[in-house]
Amino acid sequence: MASHRTANFEDRPYIDPNPLPSSVPHVDELGVTSAPLKSASFAIGQYCKDVNEDFMLCKQENRDPAHCLKEGRKVTRCAAEIITKIRENCNAQFEAHWQCLEKNNQYYQACRTQEGALNRCLADKLGLKKVIPGSPEGEVPVHEKKSPVFTRVQK
Amino acid sequence: MPPSGGFEAIRYKRSLPIRGPGGAAIFGGITAICAYGFYLVGKGNLERRELKRESAWSRIHLVPLILAEQDRDAYRRNTASLAREKEIMKDVPDWEVGKKVYNTSRYTQPNIVVL
Repeated sequence: MASHRTANFEDRPYIDPNPLPSSVPHVDELGVTSAPLKSASFAIGQYCKDVNEDFMLCKQENRDPAHCLKEGRKVTRCAAEIITKIRENCNAQFEAHWQCLEKNNQYYQACRTQEGALNRCLADKLGLKKVIPGSPEGEVPVHEKKSPVFTRVQK
Repeated sequence: MPPSGGFEAIRYKRSLPIRGPGGAAIFGGITAICAYGFYLVGKGNLERRELKRESAWSRIHLVPLILAEQDRDAYRRNTASLAREKEIMKDVPDWEVGKKVYNTSRYTQPNIVVL
């Protein structure tokens, strides 16, 4: 018989207080919420390309969580590093962009002004350029359009 | 007898003002508005496709990061669960801790969660 319950527990949190075994080196979790992550995602994708790909290839080998802990730590350290760098170099622009995303349902198209400022800063200070793989060649990429059709819902 | 110079002409024509543009103008105007609208729809469709691609890639770039964090947590829970199982079943001879219910060497997610 089909159950009406979902697979997660809604009445109590899924908490297990046991710590990681000491054989696994400690790594600080990122502790960044979704809006800053979405704001920094293309920077993370470019800066941490090698470690990310390494990790995903490792996951492709074996889905066991224990199999890729080492690569996973590298991924987290790299992301923490680039986020610290963004905070050091482009804090104002980064803050403005993710606050805007937070207030606009995390729609990129609603925050092009702030994104432009952030992207320019990242390009100047860190040499990172936002590239969307697979977008049609010879056209202006969607994040650099002068007069886009879709902007904010309310102007 | 008629007055000299004849009778005045009888005014029988209706003298209504011209009301608005003609049919051809209205038809043409609506066609033009619709054409512009469809142009925008087409442009918007192409742009929406790119926006989707953009947000998909932003997620793809974050996948390793989120997966790594989840994996550490899953590993931590799993180790704790195995330790618990070992402690509970220590008096049962021939009990294999953490033995799979599936006959495979492939990783299978645990489907029982102890709260």
